[in-house]
Amino acid sequence: MEKQVLRFKVNGDEYEVFIHPKTLLAEVIRDHLGLTGTKRGCETVSCGACTVNVNGFSVKSCSVLAIQCQDMEVTTVEGLEQHGKLSPIQRSFLDHGSYQCGFCTPGMLMSATAFLNEAKNPTKDQIKESIEGNICRCTGYNSIVRAIEAVTQGKYKEE
Amino acid sequence: MINDFHYLKPASVKEALAMYAEHDDCKVICGGQSLLIVMRQGMVAPEYLLDIKGLKELNYIRFDEKDGLRIGATTTHREIEKSDVIGKRYPVLVAMEEKLASIQTRNWGTIGGNLAHADPAGDPGPVLIALKAEIKFGSSNGEKTVPLDEFFVDYFETQMEHGDLVLEVHIPTPAPKFGCAYQKFNLLDSEMGIVAAAASVTLNADGTCADARVVLGNAGPTPLRVTKIEDLLKGKKLDDKLFAEAGKIASEEAQPVADIHASEEHRRHVLGVLTKRMLKKAFEQAQKA
Amino acid sequence: MSHAKYSVINTHVHNIDGVAKVTGRATYTFDVKLPGMLHGKILRSPHPHAKIINIDTTRAMDLPGVKIVVTGKDTLGIKQGIWRRYEELCDEQVLPLEKVRYIGEPVAAVAAITEEIAEAALDLIDVEYEVLPAVYEPLEAIKKEAPTIHEGVERNVNVTRHIEWGDVDEAFEEADYIREDWFKCSGQAHMCMETRAAVSNFTPEGKLTCWASTQSAYYTQGLLAGVLGLREGDVRVLAPYVGGGFGGKFELDAAMFCSAVMSMKLFKPVKVVFTREEDFIASKRRTPMFYYVRTGVKKDGTFCARESRMFSNGGAYTGMGATALYLSGFFHSFPYKWRGYRYDGYRVYTNTLPSTSMRGFGAPQAMFCSEQQIDWICADLGLDPFEVRRKNGHTEGYEVPGQAFIASCGLEQCINEIEKWVKSKGKLPANRGIGISSCGFMSGGIFNWFDSPYSFSSAVVTINVDGTVELHVGCQDIGQGSNTTMAIIAAETLGVKVEDIRVHSGDTAHCPADLGAWGSRQTLMAGNAVKMACEDAKKQLLEFAYAEMGINIVYDLDIKDRWVHIVARPERGMKYEDLVKKALRAKDGQRIMGRGYYTPHRKGMISPAYSYMMQAVDAEIDPETGRIKIHEVMTAHDCGQPINQLGLIGQLEGAASMALGYAYLEDMPMEDGKLMNPNLVDYKVIRAPEMPEAGIIEIDTYEPEGPYGAKEAGEGLTNPTAAALGNAVYHAMGIQMKELPITPERILKALREKKEQEAQK
Ligand SMILES: Cc1cc2nc3c(=O)[nH]c(=O)nc-3n(C[C@H](O)[C@H](O)[C@H](O)COP(=O)(O)OP(=O)(O)OC[C@H]3O[C@@H](n4cnc5c(N)ncnc54)[C@H](O)[C@@H]3O)c2cc1C
Ligand code: FES
Ligand code: FES
Repeated sequence: MEKQVLRFKVNGDEYEVFIHPKTLLAEVIRDHLGLTGTKRGCETVSCGACTVNVNGFSVKSCSVLAIQCQDMEVTTVEGLEQHGKLSPIQRSFLDHGSYQCGFCTPGMLMSATAFLNEAKNPTKDQIKESIEGNICRCTGYNSIVRAIEAVTQGKYKEE
Repeated sequence: MINDFHYLKPASVKEALAMYAEHDDCKVICGGQSLLIVMRQGMVAPEYLLDIKGLKELNYIRFDEKDGLRIGATTTHREIEKSDVIGKRYPVLVAMEEKLASIQTRNWGTIGGNLAHADPAGDPGPVLIALKAEIKFGSSNGEKTVPLDEFFVDYFETQMEHGDLVLEVHIPTPAPKFGCAYQKFNLLDSEMGIVAAAASVTLNADGTCADARVVLGNAGPTPLRVTKIEDLLKGKKLDDKLFAEAGKIASEEAQPVADIHASEEHRRHVLGVLTKRMLKKAFEQAQKA
Repeated sequence: MSHAKYSVINTHVHNIDGVAKVTGRATYTFDVKLPGMLHGKILRSPHPHAKIINIDTTRAMDLPGVKIVVTGKDTLGIKQGIWRRYEELCDEQVLPLEKVRYIGEPVAAVAAITEEIAEAALDLIDVEYEVLPAVYEPLEAIKKEAPTIHEGVERNVNVTRHIEWGDVDEAFEEADYIREDWFKCSGQAHMCMETRAAVSNFTPEGKLTCWASTQSAYYTQGLLAGVLGLREGDVRVLAPYVGGGFGGKFELDAAMFCSAVMSMKLFKPVKVVFTREEDFIASKRRTPMFYYVRTGVKKDGTFCARESRMFSNGGAYTGMGATALYLSGFFHSFPYKWRGYRYDGYRVYTNTLPSTSMRGFGAPQAMFCSEQQIDWICADLGLDPFEVRRKNGHTEGYEVPGQAFIASCGLEQCINEIEKWVKSKGKLPANRGIGISSCGFMSGGIFNWFDSPYSFSSAVVTINVDGTVELHVGCQDIGQGSNTTMAIIAAETLGVKVEDIRVHSGDTAHCPADLGAWGSRQTLMAGNAVKMACEDAKKQLLEFAYAEMGINIVYDLDIKDRWVHIVARPERGMKYEDLVKKALRAKDGQRIMGRGYYTPHRKGMISPAYSYMMQAVDAEIDPETGRIKIHEVMTAHDCGQPINQLGLIGQLEGAASMALGYAYLEDMPMEDGKLMNPNLVDYKVIRAPEMPEAGIIEIDTYEPEGPYGAKEAGEGLTNPTAAALGNAVYHAMGIQMKELPITPERILKALREKKEQEAQK
C-alpha cells in the first residue's frame, strides 16, 4: 500500500514518479505523465490501443504494473518523431491512409514499430500477425498492413 | 479496480520463497497478463503481491541432447517462440506459441505463469503433456518434480500449495521417430481455443506405433490426456481408420462445457475432428523423422 | 455526364488531420482533462424490468471524496428522444424516475475526486426495486399476454411502417413461382474504439460546455439543452476528434447527460467515460430483425411482387429505431423494380438494450434476406443469378413509385464487372464458393424528425489576407474523413490547394449547424454547402479580378492552383494571393466571406441520390468443423465521382471488415435480458489475420445532385456482405443460411439436415 518511486525513461527522458504499486503502466503514462497519445479501449487486455514499447518490445500497457518497468525504457507514440520529423512508419501511415478515427493508431504504430525492429523479410501473414493484438474498427487493417509492408520494403529509409 | 497491496520484490529465488512462506495472503505475479485481469475484476485481492518477473535465475532455455530441454519459469512466451534450438528440436512448441495470444502478451507473459494459472484452455499444457514434459516447483521447504499431466488438478488449480513457485519445465529429448502436432479450434486466429487437441506419435523401427499421446484442451477441468486412445494405438500400424476411431474416443471421453461460443455437442464433435487430424499429422512427421 | 479535369478531387490527398493522428496529438473527449475536473460513474440496473421503489444515496454521499450523487429526481425528468417532432417517440428518461426497462439502464450517477472513489461509491447506493415480469423477443412481446413495457403502448408495438406500391396481389397472380422464407438477423455492437465519453463544464454564467464523443455536435447541443432546460445557445458542444461512431453516437447518451447534470449542480467539470462493458450493455446496437419474405417471379426471372413482414427487436426505447424500420423496408426492395411491393414493419419494445441505427441502417439485414432468397429462386428455376439481377435492376431515370427518383445508377456496370471477376476465377476447389449480392444505398437521408429549423447542412468560408482559407462546417468528422472531403471540395472550388484550407468543425459555438454524420449525408449535403460557400467567395474575388485585370467582361475567369486566369487563355492572369490582398483593400478591409447551405427539396421520401454496388465474397468452409475462411471480397461500386481516393478505399475495407464480422462472428446473445458477451474476449471482431483482400472496381457515373457528381461511399458498403457470404456458403455447400451470424455450428447443423433430407429422398 506504500507508494513507491518508479524511475524509468520515457521517450528518452528520465522520469521519477511516486506511485501505488498497483498503478498500471497505462495510468502512469496517461495520468501521471500526461502523454495521452496512448489510448485505452477495454478492460480485458484485448484491444491493443494501449500498446507501448518497453525496452523495444511491444506490450499492452494496461496489462503491466508500472512498477515492473523500474529502470526500463518506455517508448510511446509521442516518442516516435524526432524534432518534428516523423518516423518511417508514421510517414507510411500517412501515405497509405492507415487510420480513420485514429483512436487505435498510436497502439498500431507501436506494435508496428516493435515488429519492424525485429522483422527482416516478413511475409504478409507475419505482418498481419504483428498487429493481431490491436483492434481497429474503422480501417479493416489492410491499409495498415500495406503501410508496414512498404516500410519493410525500404520505401521509407531515412533520407 | 485493483485493490491496494504491499509490493514485494525479491532479488533471488531464495528470497522469493522466503517472502512467500512468510505472508499468508500473498499472490505471485509474473507477467500479470492473466492475473491483472482477475484482480481488476476484484476476483483476486491479495494483501501482498510477490513480483517474480525480474528473477533472472528462472529465465533460461537450456538444451542438452541427453537431458532434453529445460525452460525456466520466468521465460517469456516470446523467448520460447524465438529460440533457435526449440525451433529446431521442438517445432510444435514454436507453432503453438505463435498462436498464443498476441505478440504483446507473449512479450510479457511467461510460461511459468501460464502453467500456474492452469486455465484448461491454455495452449502450452496440452502440447507439453504430449511432449511428455514434467514440471518442477518448490517452496522454502524443498522442490518437487511431477509429470505435467498430474500437475493440473482442477479448473485453475494445480498440485502447488501456498508458498510454491513454478521453477522449471523439463521436456525429454524426442525419440528418433517422433512427431507432435497441436491445433486449437477458434474463430479468431490467435484467441484462446474453444477446444484444442495435441497429439504425439513415436514409431518403432518397423513403423508400428511405439507410443502415442492425445491431450485435449478446454475439454474438461484440466488438459485431458486420453489414455484409451494410447491403448488403442500402441503396437499397431497406424492408418486413417485408427485415427478416425481415436477421434471418436476423444469425442466420447471429453467433458467440455457449453457456453455462448459452442454447445457441448459441437465441442465434442470438433475435438474428434482435431484428434483425428493431429494424430495423422504427428504420425506423418514421425514417419519422416 | 460531364467529367471536368479536377486538380484536387480524386487525387492522392493525405487526411488533413493525419499528422495529428499518427503522432498522438489528436485529443479525443477521452483525453480531455480540465482543472478541477471530477470523475463520474453510473450505477446501472441489474434487472431487465423493475419499478424503482426507492434510492438511498446517503451511504454513497458519506464516502470521502464523493461530491454528488444524482438520481432521476434530481433531473427535470424530461422524456427525450431524437425523434423530437413526435412526442410519443420521445420515451427515454436517461435517469428514469419510475422504472427501469433493461439491464444496464442508468439509475444514478456519482461524481467524485477520483474515478476509483466514484466507482466505490456505486456500491454504496441502495436501490430498492420491485422486479416486474420481462420479455425479450419481439415475437413474444407482441403477444396479448406479454408484460407492458411502456404504459399505454398496446402489445408493445413502438412503431409500425407500411410501404406499398403497385397492385401487389395482382402482381403475385402473374408470378409463375412464389417462394417464402423466414430469416433471423442478429444485433451488432458499434464497438467504437473510443467508448461513449463526455466532459461537461457548467460555469456560474449559466453556460455549459460539453466535450462529447458524438456524431453530431448540433444534435447533442439540442438534446442537452432540451433535457437540462437551457437555451440551445447556452450549450456549447465540442467534438474535436471522435473515436468512431458507426451510427451509435448521435443520440443523447448517459455520459453526456449525467456529466452535464452533475456539473450543473456542482459548477465544476465532470467527466464520464463508459467502460467497454458499459459500452456493450448500455449503448445502443444494430437492430435484430425477423423477416418473412415472399417473392413472386416469372419463369424467365422477371420479378413480379414481393411482400415482407418484419418484426424488429426495438429494445427498451425508440432511439433511431423508427428510421431503421422504414429504411430496412425500403432497401429491402432495392435495387430492383417490383410491379408490386408491400412491406409491413413492426418495431416492438422488449426489455433489452435499445436498438438503433448502425452503418447500413437496417439495409444489411434486409439484403441478407433478399439477396439470398434471389439466389435460391435462381437455383430453384435454373436461372443465372447475374442475368436475373441485371434484368430486374434499377436503371437511370427509374422512379421507385411514390418513394424515390433515381437520377444516376451504375448498377448494370457493377453487375457486369463482378460477373467478369467471378468468371475469371474459374472452377473453384471443393467446399469453396463465391457468393454475390447487389444493393444500393442513400446519399443523405431526407429526414427531419429532429425538427431542426436550420438547413440540413451549412458552411462558411473566410479568406485570409494571404489567401489561406478558414472553412467552418457543422458536419462531423468521426474518422470517416469528412474534414478532408470538405477541404478537397473547398480547394477544388476555390482553385487553391488542400493545405491552404483550415477546416473548423465539431464546435457548435463557431460552426454553423448541421445535422451531422449519419445517413451517409455529409459528402452530398455538407459537400454541396461547402461548394456553394466557396462559389460565393470565389464570385466575390473574381469580381475584383475583372476590374483589376481590365479584361472584357465576356471572358470567363477562373482560379486553379492559386492562379487567377482567363479560361480561354490560361497564361493570362494573376496570382491568387495578390488578388486576395487587393480585394481586401477594395472592400474597405472586409474579409471575403462565402456562405452556403443545403436542404433537400422535392427529392422524394428518402434521399436525393443513391449509390449502387455489387459485391462478391469468396469463402471456404471446413466441412468437418464448419469454420469459415474468407479468401477475398471484391466490390464494384458506383459512388458517382469519387472525391477522396484514399478515403474511398479506407471506407470500403472498413465496411468489409465490419460487415464480415456481422456475417460470421459478431453476435449479442442474451439470457434473460443479460448480454452474455459484454467484453472484447467474448465479443469477436475481425482482426488483421482474418481480414481478406478487399478490392474495389469503381464505376464511373455522375450524380447531378451531388457536389462534383459525388454520392455516398462507406455506409452502403456494409449492406451486401452478409448476404454475399451466405450465398458463398450456399454455392460451396448447398446449404441455406437463414440466421445470422453464420457460425460453424449453424453450418454443421445445416449440413446434417441436408444429409438427412437427401437420405429421405
Ligand atoms: C488477451 C490475452 C489472450 C490470451 N490468449 C492466450 C492463449 O491463446 N493461450 C494461452 O495459453 N494463454 C493465453 N493467455 C494467457 C496468458 O498468456 C498466460 O496465462 C500468461 O502468459 C501467464 O503468464 P504471466 O507471466 O503473465 O502470469 P501472471 O498473470 O503473472 O500469473 C498467472 C497466475 O499464475 C501465478 N503465477 C505466475 N507465475 C508463477 C510461478 N512462477 N509460480 C507460481 N505461480 C505463478 C499467478 O499467481 C497467477 O495466479 C492470454 C492472455 C491474454 C491477456
Ligand atoms: S486497453 Fe485494451 S488492451 Fe490495453
Ligand atoms: S482508425 Fe478508428 S479504430 Fe482504427
